[in-house]
Amino acid sequence: MNYKVKKLLTNWRVLLLVFFLVASIVAIHPTLSKGVAIRSVITNSSASIAGIQQPKPNIQPVNRERILSINNVPINNVEDYYKYTSTLTPNRTIQIKTTKEIYKLTTIEKFETIQLNETEQKTITETIEKNVTINGTSQIINETMAKTVTVPKTIKVSKGTEDIGLRVYDAPKTNIRKGLDLQGGTRVLLQPEAKLSPYDIGVLIDNMKERLNVYGLSDIVIRDANDLVGNQYIVVEIAGATEEEIKDLLARQGKFEAKIGNSTVFRGGQDIVYVGRSANEAGIDPSAGCSQSGQQWLCRFRFSITLSQQAAQRQAEATKDLEIVPEPTTGRDNYLSQKLELYLDDKKVDELSIASDLKGQAVTQISISGTGFGANQQAAIYDALQNMKRLQTILITGSLPVKLGIVKTDAISPVLGEQFINNAILMSLLAIIAVAIVIGIRYWKLLIAIPILITMLSEVIILLGVAAFIGWNIDLAAIAGILVAIGTGVDDQIVITDETLKGETATVYNWKEKVKRAFLIIMLAYLTVVVAMIPLIFAGAGLLKGFAITTIIGVTIGVFVTRPAYSSFVEVMLK
Amino acid sequence: MEQNNQQQKQEIKKNIKQTLFEFYEKKYKLLLIIPIALLLLALVQIGFQIYKTGDFIKKDVSLKGGVTVTVPFEKEVDIKQIERQIASQFPRNDIAVRTLRSIGTVVGLIVEADIDGNNKADVNKLLNSIEDSLNIDLSKIDYGIEIIGSSLGASFFRESLIALAVAFLFMGLVVLIYFRTFIPSIAIILAAFSDMVVALAVINLMDVRIGTAGIAAFLMLIGYSVDTDILLTVRVLKRKEGTVMDRIISSIKTGMTETITAIVAVTVAMIVTQSEVIRQIMLILLIGLIADVFNTWIQNVGLLRIYVERKAKKGVVI
Repeated sequence: MNYKVKKLLTNWRVLLLVFFLVASIVAIHPTLSKGVAIRSVITNSSASIAGIQQPKPNIQPVNRERILSINNVPINNVEDYYKYTSTLTPNRTIQIKTTKEIYKLTTIEKFETIQLNETEQKTITETIEKNVTINGTSQIINETMAKTVTVPKTIKVSKGTEDIGLRVYDAPKTNIRKGLDLQGGTRVLLQPEAKLSPYDIGVLIDNMKERLNVYGLSDIVIRDANDLVGNQYIVVEIAGATEEEIKDLLARQGKFEAKIGNSTVFRGGQDIVYVGRSANEAGIDPSAGCSQSGQQWLCRFRFSITLSQQAAQRQAEATKDLEIVPEPTTGRDNYLSQKLELYLDDKKVDELSIASDLKGQAVTQISISGTGFGANQQAAIYDALQNMKRLQTILITGSLPVKLGIVKTDAISPVLGEQFINNAILMSLLAIIAVAIVIGIRYWKLLIAIPILITMLSEVIILLGVAAFIGWNIDLAAIAGILVAIGTGVDDQIVITDETLKGETATVYNWKEKVKRAFLIIMLAYLTVVVAMIPLIFAGAGLLKGFAITTIIGVTIGVFVTRPAYSSFVEVMLK
Repeated sequence: MEQNNQQQKQEIKKNIKQTLFEFYEKKYKLLLIIPIALLLLALVQIGFQIYKTGDFIKKDVSLKGGVTVTVPFEKEVDIKQIERQIASQFPRNDIAVRTLRSIGTVVGLIVEADIDGNNKADVNKLLNSIEDSLNIDLSKIDYGIEIIGSSLGASFFRESLIALAVAFLFMGLVVLIYFRTFIPSIAIILAAFSDMVVALAVINLMDVRIGTAGIAAFLMLIGYSVDTDILLTVRVLKRKEGTVMDRIISSIKTGMTETITAIVAVTVAMIVTQSEVIRQIMLILLIGLIADVFNTWIQNVGLLRIYVERKAKKGVVI
């Protein structure tokens, strides 16, 4: 027996499984962390002024900055946090202790301007241009004069304390990210500024989905809605996004235009064939980098795009009559007299000098650039990369057919309710035990039933570990995928057992040959399932994608990690 | 006498077993009627469903959309309790209640129901039941009613069906490349297809409304279906020991262990769970697994044996 255990513990297949299990537990990182985690920091709020940093979106949940206490009062959950912050009075200094450092915040008083039903006289100064004849010549001079106007009387009323500007949630206990249907998210009600036909609503929703997908927010539900008076709305539910991200992505129409002089050269969407997003095609501009101006840092980003032939032709047209002028500061490099100006929603975001050798050329490869600002270099880089991502998204997906206004945003509870997860865990455990009992009865051997039980549990742990590691959201579709992986895993275990131990393949005596035959069936079933899942990844809707990806990851782990370990176990213990 | 009786009983039992086995072995073509009839009946049911309702399934609120009522409500309440109370008034509809929070505190409740928003009577009934269960007077509150569309979008079903068709094609290709012959590939695709279609028809007959979870469950059937079919096909076509029938019987032993294990797990889950969503997934899997018994051990076996027989006529022994 001792010899067998030793042999088992030195078997590389078993060791591989142990390695994956340990790595998964490290990735899941179960902790008993206290406090509330910071989800987002609102710009220009007391918190952001005090230097609390916006958390990076790709940070692992348990590594997020957590608030431990405010003014030495321990904050253990969201209720504690909101209960304490609601008592704050204006213009007071408070001390927030987080896992990173201790911040000193000053609360800001909140004012509301109320228009009264009466009017008041106000004196204002006004500057007007006037034609004056001085010494016989007509000249335009500015004349300033005082003017009294009647305006509605307003008063400023103190409305208590401005929110300190942190959005928090109970500190995560593991790195497993829960999806929209398990954890809830943000519900945003948007209203199109113009009335749309049902067809246009469909186009709008598809476009928004694509935009959020490019941005990496796949866990979303977008639905159309009407109220009884006939107003149109778009309802978006989204997990893990902050209010500001939603505003930037959804409420922005994203009309992108590149102009030279008055002529539009290309627009976002159809004029652009390809947007570079890999590390050497996009990022902080290595030649411009970051610089400091006064209190602020500024970073430049750049990424390459490929224009369609028509757009390149338009660019050639627009540049062919331009003059070549020397660069004003150095006088060396020659540029064209007009710049390529980039407009987003009719606002100029950047302008690019055009090198003189591009005059009249139909170039399809163009580099787009822009800037980001921040209080320090890190913040500026982050801002620049965010701006870049947003611009890339808009260039890929084109503009929305209509401008959208945000009617309201709320946090919404999950569809599946709070008890769902505990219930699902209990159910899975009982189902796994039931499987072990059935196997135990069928083969009448504990040495088969127990390893199968262990294999099933290992697969759950490793799958969750992989999900935590790659930042994959566990939602209902993912749970379904996990169930498929474990279920087909049991099937494979049965095949291994029957092929090796039962007399089903009596003519083959070589153990290696038996295992090989079992794995032939397993691999073929594996390949068949994987190829069936691939088209589902590309079927658009998040539901199928989540299911297909989890299933593929799950069965792959099974075939390459847990199944070999099980067959080794059977070989060592029962041969 | 007593012993004799016992022996006789055993004899009869053995005889029945023998007869059944012979029937299964000899009349496999006749037996094919069962899965084919099952598939046809299922297709008829689905056709009838489309004719009657315009959809091939009964969609729940997440797929069909419906009415959402947003009520400002600032107390912490047990939303499951409220959900049950409202649902008791609408036994034929799907009701979901969720909370809205702003800066940590509850600011409102959202009630989603798959009722027709243009039907004044239904909407009023919903509003009344919300008033009753929350103990509030809606006429004094600034609540909102919206008629809401599907969470999966109009193109979802079209896209999924195309994706499924491609998935079946790919599965067939993998099997075709491995076995280099058509009939086994078609048999495996047909079995997975039949499992899904039969499960769908039974679910429709049971009047179950399908949500996003149900769709995931139908896709899960692909994985379970393929396992038994591949096992059977490999053993019959690639193994040399024993007769074809011996290999089929050995596959049944292994395959039925797989299926029974899955059925037990699914049944346990269905009994234990308190979540409607999980119960729905498990119900669909249970029906699909039962259908898979027929589709693998009668339909797929039948098709494979026809293939083997035709090969044998050409002088190829498998």
